[in-house]
Amino acid sequence: MFGRYNDTFRYEFGDILVETVRIGGLLTYQRRCEGQTFERILVSKTGEIIINPVEPVNLPKEITDYLLMEFSPMLIEPGVSQTVYLKFPIEVGVFLEAARDIEVLDVFGLGTQKYTLYGPPTSGVIARWYQSAVYTEAPPVESFREGVMELSIQNASHEWAEVSCAVFDSVDMKIYYNDVVTTTAAMKIITPTMAETDFTDAPLRPDMTRSIELYTARKIPVINRGYLMEWGLS
Amino acid sequence: MTFNVTEVLEIPIGVGSITVESLLYFAVILVVGIAVARVVSTNVRRALMERLPKSERELLVKLVYYGIVLWALVIALPQLKFDLSGLLVAGGIAGLVIGFASQSVVSNLVSGIFLMFEHPIKIGDGINVAGVSGSVEDIRILSTIVKTHDGIFTRIPNEKVFTSNITNYVHNAARRFEYQISVRYEDDADAAIRIIKEVIWTHPFALKSPAPSVFVDNFGDDGVNLTAYIWAPARNWWDVRTSLLWQIKQKLEENGIEMPYPQRTVWFADELKVTTGDTGTKGAEE
Repeated sequence: MFGRYNDTFRYEFGDILVETVRIGGLLTYQRRCEGQTFERILVSKTGEIIINPVEPVNLPKEITDYLLMEFSPMLIEPGVSQTVYLKFPIEVGVFLEAARDIEVLDVFGLGTQKYTLYGPPTSGVIARWYQSAVYTEAPPVESFREGVMELSIQNASHEWAEVSCAVFDSVDMKIYYNDVVTTTAAMKIITPTMAETDFTDAPLRPDMTRSIELYTARKIPVINRGYLMEWGLS
Repeated sequence: MTFNVTEVLEIPIGVGSITVESLLYFAVILVVGIAVARVVSTNVRRALMERLPKSERELLVKLVYYGIVLWALVIALPQLKFDLSGLLVAGGIAGLVIGFASQSVVSNLVSGIFLMFEHPIKIGDGINVAGVSGSVEDIRILSTIVKTHDGIFTRIPNEKVFTSNITNYVHNAARRFEYQISVRYEDDADAAIRIIKEVIWTHPFALKSPAPSVFVDNFGDDGVNLTAYIWAPARNWWDVRTSLLWQIKQKLEENGIEMPYPQRTVWFADELKVTTGDTGTKGAEE
């Protein structure tokens, strides 16, 4: 499903149907996903449709930029680094590209979403919540539902640290895809209750395509800022 | 030919006793004043770029600019042997009159400036202030515009906003709401709690953490009263609140748990004798 399309096309996979058809001479984009439908008439001469995985913080509606990954608790020795693999949720973004502009047409995804609060209600942040097991190798994932996150955890503190969650600012998220969707992230533990997280702009495998992020398409200026987890690591 | 600067400066220009020197002093003070006014007003404009709409920002910048220029003029005028004492007396009286007249305007202006720096409310926030509930449409230099929940435009003077208790419903990231749910005495309250928790879990914006809490609160006249505390994002809590309750009711009924109707058990001291008459039967047949 991911890729570039011109004029009419049709893609069907399980509960997902994405297509453009000509209805009365007008090009119409239609999407059905788990019973929900979306349709738009496209008036375009040269525009291309791009479908790729996007940051998983837009459904059922966009209320936050943050993603909280919860995983099995890990105790990490001071000074030790470890790379683990997690499954993270993905959403599918459909973009319209013209010579000098790109526009978000549709965002959809499989499965349900759950949100949580990281930190106290007064100063914490709302985050998309997702739970994953911890893997030592890239695990097999369900197509169009999950991707693989390579997470490098470094305990830069002088104490043992217990970690069971990582909060990311999805604005920095860099997603790559081919037959599998991947992202690469890092977590640097500063103290046993504080850590910095960030995404790395690197594919997990050499032959992957970089996704167009929603922030790029929405023309929102982004500064790579990372996120400081100051409300605990578990 | 010798050229004496002191002598040149002391040459009268022909208007009273004003010399070239005093004229130069006047000009220099005025030029410096204008330069300072420009620098300050530029910085004021920059500082308020994000905080004020353009029209009000420009008004404030002009006020600052002309205020400084006027101040420089007042300092410079004595160089031209201009007696300001009369002006000061007149200005004092005028100031007193204007001051009394514009007391509330100035108060609103100062309150508006404090509001902009303290930031208790932002445009789009759901608030309750001075008895008015709604969302903030605009924060102006003299007043705050609130659109009430039924779409009414309400202008509240900034002084009132600043001195009132402000409740900002969306200042925090999350907020809690509660449901009171009753089930019949013959229903399994534990099962009801489990079902309610399951329904809450299915809603994306019913937050996982802080976890929802569902418990038997008290025994009512008609049934067992359960209370559910649910946390939701502050900006979406109303949507969650309105959508979840009906889902809970439906799910409970699907599982044979129903809301109790008001009922009263009456005990008779003596054995109750029921008699039926022919008239009643006839009446029913008719």
